[in-house]
Amino acid sequence: MRTTSLGIMQDVSNLRRQIGRRSWCRRSTLLPLGVALLVAAVAEPTFSQTSPAPQNLPSHSISGVRSVIGLENVKPGVKGTITSMRAGLQFLSGKKNTEIPTSSIEDIFTGEESRQDVGGMKGTLVEAAIPYGGGRVVSLLSHRVDVLTVEYLDAQGGFHGAIFVLPAGRAAKFRDDLVAQGAKAFIHVEAPKPQDKQ
Amino acid sequence: MKTRIHAAILLVCALAVCGLAFMMATSLSAQAGPASPSEQPQKLTASSILVERIVPPQDLLIPEDTRVSMYENVIQELIKTKKFQHVYRSGDRLADNAPDLVTLRLIPEAYKPGSQKEREVITVAGATSIKVRLEFVTRDGKIPLEKEVDGKVRFYGENLRATYDLAKKVAAVVNKSF
Repeated sequence: MRTTSLGIMQDVSNLRRQIGRRSWCRRSTLLPLGVALLVAAVAEPTFSQTSPAPQNLPSHSISGVRSVIGLENVKPGVKGTITSMRAGLQFLSGKKNTEIPTSSIEDIFTGEESRQDVGGMKGTLVEAAIPYGGGRVVSLLSHRVDVLTVEYLDAQGGFHGAIFVLPAGRAAKFRDDLVAQGAKAFIHVEAPKPQDKQ
Repeated sequence: MKTRIHAAILLVCALAVCGLAFMMATSLSAQAGPASPSEQPQKLTASSILVERIVPPQDLLIPEDTRVSMYENVIQELIKTKKFQHVYRSGDRLADNAPDLVTLRLIPEAYKPGSQKEREVITVAGATSIKVRLEFVTRDGKIPLEKEVDGKVRFYGENLRATYDLAKKVAAVVNKSF
């Protein structure tokens, strides 16, 4: 009887030790987890893709880019070369050079569109001149392009938005380069695309 | 016989001229009647205008390029109206001290994406359209003018041309009301 009570006591003490060890194990696993959660909560919002430290990457240029609208002192529709640099985004058209500083970039969007191969006023007249509805067949010829939209602030804090049309498949890389240089960009919900964007 | 034919022709001509004169008189009287001063909308006055950023409602998704193009085109068209000494952009610190500033809010209400290819090939299909509610807000938060405008591109041109059409209509509202 005594031996059994002693055995029970030993079992109980063993059980306590095991529970103690387990709780220590749990604490040791939970502590880093808690710290990680705290760090994640304090850190930048998860949607932000701003690179923590701007990297000194080589500049990346794309030629044949059309500035659609929104670039200060640049006429809408002008073609030029766009470059992502440490200082920011540069648009060079002829002798005119326009820059958007990296620190002033608020957000960058990329998209795809389809452009008619024969377009504009001249193209429309040519299409209209083709007999037997041939102009409509010409309208079927189109090519894909990328659209890059950059939202930025001027020196006074005024909001601007610049839209560029790039050759197909170039905008995403350019956006990533700008982000790597320190520009802000967020993850966005995709808006309905115009029907001819596929 | 000949005199009868001549008389008939003269009668027909006289009737046509009379009808034409009657139509012109009625249309002129409809145009010329000046509206009473109480009927005429009172013009608003402001030396400067601030265009707020376009933020669509959560249930309405508009492509970013369309939203940005709308904002930039509206600013360009407002500058062209020459109704204001300054056209400020959203967030511009200089607008804080501007006297009699009016703020323009553009609230998108509907957006229908179209297709340039469809427009050019089928003609009657593929139109892009945007509907926006304009709110002119004074410094004390009053809204003296509210209006709905829409921008469309029906036949030829890129999808973003709808934003240019919309901006032109915004400028027309400003020209009429300021």
